[in-house]
Formats: sequence, C-alpha cells, structure tokens
Amino acid sequence: MNHALSLRIGPATFRIGSTWRRPVEALVALYADYPAPVDGVADFTVRLEPAGPFRRWLRPSIFITGDHGLADAAPMSLAHGLLAAEMGMNLQMALGWRRHLLLHASSVEKDGRALVMTGESGSGKSTLAAQLGERGWRLMGDEFALLDLDTGAVFPFPRLVSLKNRAIDVLAAETPQRRMGPLLAGTAKGDIRHLVPNRDAIGRMGEGAKPALLLFPRFGHAADVRAVGQGEVFMRLTQASTNYVALGEPGFAALTRFVADVPARAIDFPSGDEAVALVERLWKECG
Amino acid sequence: MSARGLVRALRDPDVVTALDAGGWNGLIAMARAERLVGTLALRIGDRRVPDAVRQILDDARLDAEREARQALWEADRATEALAGIDVPVLLLKGTAYAAAGLRAGQGRFIGDLDILVPREAMEQVEHALLRAGWEWVKDDPYDDAYYRQWMHELPPMIHAGRDRMIDVHHSILPLTARQAPDMAAMIADAVPIAKGLYMLSPEDRICHAAAHLLADGDLAGGLRNLWDIVCLLDGIDPSALEARAARHGLAAHVGQARRLAAALYGEGARLSFWDRIVAARLLARDGWGRERRKPLRFAFSVRSHWLRMPPGLLARHLFTKWRKGHRPV
Amino acid sequence: MPRRYCQDSPDAITSCVLEDMVLLYHRPSGQTHMVISPVPEILATLDGGAALTADEVLGQLASLYDLGAAEEAGPQVEAHLAELTELGLVRIA
Repeated sequence: MNHALSLRIGPATFRIGSTWRRPVEALVALYADYPAPVDGVADFTVRLEPAGPFRRWLRPSIFITGDHGLADAAPMSLAHGLLAAEMGMNLQMALGWRRHLLLHASSVEKDGRALVMTGESGSGKSTLAAQLGERGWRLMGDEFALLDLDTGAVFPFPRLVSLKNRAIDVLAAETPQRRMGPLLAGTAKGDIRHLVPNRDAIGRMGEGAKPALLLFPRFGHAADVRAVGQGEVFMRLTQASTNYVALGEPGFAALTRFVADVPARAIDFPSGDEAVALVERLWKECG
Repeated sequence: MSARGLVRALRDPDVVTALDAGGWNGLIAMARAERLVGTLALRIGDRRVPDAVRQILDDARLDAEREARQALWEADRATEALAGIDVPVLLLKGTAYAAAGLRAGQGRFIGDLDILVPREAMEQVEHALLRAGWEWVKDDPYDDAYYRQWMHELPPMIHAGRDRMIDVHHSILPLTARQAPDMAAMIADAVPIAKGLYMLSPEDRICHAAAHLLADGDLAGGLRNLWDIVCLLDGIDPSALEARAARHGLAAHVGQARRLAAALYGEGARLSFWDRIVAARLLARDGWGRERRKPLRFAFSVRSHWLRMPPGLLARHLFTKWRKGHRPV
Repeated sequence: MPRRYCQDSPDAITSCVLEDMVLLYHRPSGQTHMVISPVPEILATLDGGAALTADEVLGQLASLYDLGAAEEAGPQVEAHLAELTELGLVRIA
C-alpha cells in the first residue's frame, strides 16, 4: 500500500498500510519509541482503505480491515485516521491473537505484581490505569491484559492510551504535552486524545507480572467495595475475553486458575482521586 | 504481487525457505485472506522459518485443529437430531474431509456444517432441526421464498446454544442452474464414514467441488476450493471420474477444474482462453491480502448470478434486492 | 423399556470447582458449562462407564446423599439427565 508502518506492542507485531499519508504520519510520531518487529515479519496486517470506489478523494472515509475484519464495520472520517489505525490493531488482537488469553482489561504493575481492572467502556478502567501509570505504577495497558497460558502471568499490551471526553483534561493536567496526541473531536465515542505511555511502560513491554488483584471498577457512584463470587468473576471474564472460546482447553485452564488464585473486588468511586486512594488501600490489604 | 506466491508455496513448500521478511508478510496475508493459512502451515511443516513465522504457523495449525474438532461436534449433534427420523447424515465439504481424515481436510478452514439429504426428506429434516435447537438466521419473507423456490438448500439455520450454522442441501447446485446433477445417484452411492455418517463417493466429491468452484458462486475463496480438488484427485481413476461427471452434466466443469488444478498446483496444463480468465481471477490477491482487478470481480458476480438463474428471474431478484438497499460492490 | 444414559467418553470432560460452582469443560464441543449440585453428582454416577436408567442413577445418589422425598427427586434427576443429553454431556445408550 502507498503508506506503511510496522511496529511492536508487547508481544504482538503489526504491519499497517494506508491509502492516505496522514494516518501513518500520525502513527509514526506517536509510536516513535516503539520497537520494530524482530525479523521484520508482522503477526498481523492492518489496512486502512477507501470505504468505496470514490472515497479516496471525495469526502474521504476509511474502511478498517486487515487479516481479520468485520464486514459491517462503520467507515470513519479521514480526520480520525489515527483512531482508525488503533481500532484496526485492536480488531486483529481481538479476533486473531492466540498466544495468551486476551482479557478486555487494563492493567498496571508494582513490585512485580499486577493489578487487573475490567469493565465496560465508561467504567473508568482506562483512565484509572493511565492515572496510576503517572503515579508510580507501571502501565501495562489500558485495553487488553494478556494472560499467559502456561505460567498464569499477565503480560502487557501498552498501546497508546485512548482518553475520552472528561478523561482528556484529567490526564493532560499531569502529563507532559509531548506525550499527548492530537485532539480527535466528534468521533463515535465523543472527543478522543491519545496518551503515549511513559518510557518505563514502553521499555518494559516484554515483561510480565504475577496477577495479585482483580478489580471491577465503576465510575460515578459513591465509594464502595464489594466482594465478587468466583462464579460471577468467571462469567464476567469469559464475557471480557474475545478469544476464550478460540483457545479451547488451555483457555479454560488459564482462566480457572486466574479466578481461583486472584482475589476480586467490585469498586465504585465518584472521582479519579478517590479511585486512586481506594486502589492503593486495597493493594496494601491484599499485599 | 499476485497469489502466485501462495500457490507456489502450497505446491512446493521448499520455496519458502528463500523468502525475505516482505515475502513472508505477503504470503501470510494472502494465505489468511484465502483461508489457506492452516493448510499452508501443515504444508510447510518443520522446514526452517524465522521465529516470528513459526509462531504464526503454530497458531494457524491450532486454529485448524479446533476448527475440525468443532465441525465434528456439529456433525455429531446433527446426527443426534436426525436419528429419530431415520435420515442418514451425508456430510459435504470440509466436515466430510475432516471426519474421514482426508488430505483435503488437513489444516482446512471449515466454517458451517453442510449436509445433503434427499429432497423429499427436507421438511422432516427442517422440523427435526428446529426441535433440536436450531433456528432460522433471518426472517425476511422474500429471501425465504426465494430459497425455497429456487435454491438447493434450506435458508441457513443457526444453533441457538452453540452459535454454529448448518446448511441443509438437497442438491449440489441451485434448481435454477443449467446443469442438473443426478442427486439420487449421488445419495445412493454415498460411502460410510462412521456410524450414521456418510459422504459422497470419491468421484462425486470432485464433481461437487468442481460445481461449487465453477458453476456456483463468484469464485471468491476459489484457491482453497481448488486446493480441495487437488487433494481429492489423489488416486482417482480419470475415466471413472469423466463418466461420473458426464452423468451429472458437469463434464466441462470437472475438466476445467482438473486443468486449473494442474496449472496452478501441479505439473502444468494447456489452458483455454476462458481457463486463463478464471485463473487470473483466482490469483487476484495482492501482498496486503487485498482483492485486485475490480472490474473482473464484478463481471464474475454478474456471471455467478446468471449461472444460477434464468435472466428474467435474475432481473427480478436483483430488483428486489436493490429496492432493499443492496448495491453490487 | 426405560432409557439408559451413559457418559460421552471417559475423558470428554475436565472440571474445576470454584466455591459452590463446578465448571465443566467439554472437550469434543469446546463448550464450558457452569453447573451446581446435583449435576456434578449425577455425572459422577456415570463415571464408571455403565449405562444406567434414571431410577438407577437416583438409587446410586440415594445411597450417597440424603435426597428427601423420592417422588420429588425422581423427576428432577430425569429432567437433569434430559438436559445433559441435549448438551451432549450424556448420551442415550
């Protein structure tokens, strides 16, 4: 394709091709510190191509596809090309990754142990992970946590953090400007701005950690902590995994082990600062 | 880059040891797009490849194994559902190859369960499947009437609990197609695979695969169908195959499939003008996994409809689809 | 003749206990089932490989557990066996 880039995020490598220059330029700038694939061979191909025969020039709109794609994926505006590329990579991971059990969860690490947070989009898991990542924890990822099938360790997938709406200002206030991407206004999910993980997060993207605590965060409620039964944890994690079924028995073994070994809590919080304090407290308790 | 690189790697896997990173990226993207990556992984086997490639091939191999296991389970469930009405389950395509352990099944992407039953048993089968938890995928009355009147299968059904589709055929070609295969003979000569499970005879398997590739559909995914044919041709007596194809009115299709198989995956063959166009269409894939030659694709889409339906019917069909917002791409 | 039930195959299922639940991974289908008592106990009666009627399953359970009134437990066992058969975890012999 006319414009292309290859890069590695955690254990996965991508080759991204685009009909237009702009999305690739934006990726090159924000992924500058990420390594290239070893051997030059990528696990996945992502393609950003015109949504229809004339859509390269006329009201350009991007169809996101690649090795794995969704036929009914909605086209995106060229102005949101960076987001399209991110979604293309997520799509490959969600549908094609087989080397770990993939959990739709954020994760951070401290002292070799990982905190995993899962929930619907809007639950605050992404923002919370980003905040912790600026306050002494290592950010492992805001979207996918990768559970090793043999050892049970969690591995990072530290892609760009995708900050939405109110989370943008919260993080912009405590992060250097150079690590913030351009504002993408008016996407299907509102305003979006990407945050480049810090040097520690990128430099240690190959380093896993033993999971020590699982949280189900919920933003916008009075502070509360509840225990969650293992049966419910298992159910919710199968729903949060895009490859549980595809992995078969090794996926079953990895997930049951995770559920049996890792304490789980549901937490509610009204604001980011309170969430960070709550997490620090729970972390000490399970210590 | 065309899919020629993929075809060459399947024919002679030793060539992959000379690939550079760009060559690998293209080969893998094409193999995935053609749903041949599992087959490719098995063909490459233990040959020396870069570590990154090894992991991709191992993943593909595991996916194919799971695919086969699930396909066999669906076949088992269908057999169970139909046991009460005494209709034998005749497996078609991928599931049959996997169940019988044929070379064509090795690493193959499978997808839906396809079974063949006598036309007069269709209604019974439909009810038995509905009782056992399958349900209709769409409830559009036009499509439903269209299927029942003109197609060779029931409208697709999906199992509510397992999320897997089943296609119940009573013929290997639509009733509107110009060829009329002798379905009674196909069913009568079916061969057993296991208890309660059957598949077509070796010659009929090729007739079906050739009809599927060349008389039905727009050749999308054709490289895999052609690979099936290459594998199915192993050990076949050519004169028995010719006689059988003639009986089904598929002599031309089987002949063309054999020429294409030899040209792309074998020792080579003399190709006619039309063969060359079909071959070009089969190979229309670039190193990013994209389909190329758009005008040729559109021509094939129109031709595929025309092959299945008399022109008046086609006009009506396209018109009804058009009104509902479908546009040919 | 009453129906006889048997297990799918000896190594078809692997299980894991999570608190009060039992997770069953069924290898041939790749499906995971989450079950609670008395389903694991019913499956265990078929572990020996024998083909049993619902009454015989009930008899074995009664020798191990206190089941209460037989007129209630009987239909329940029968219903569970039917459901397990539908899922393919148990077969009709």
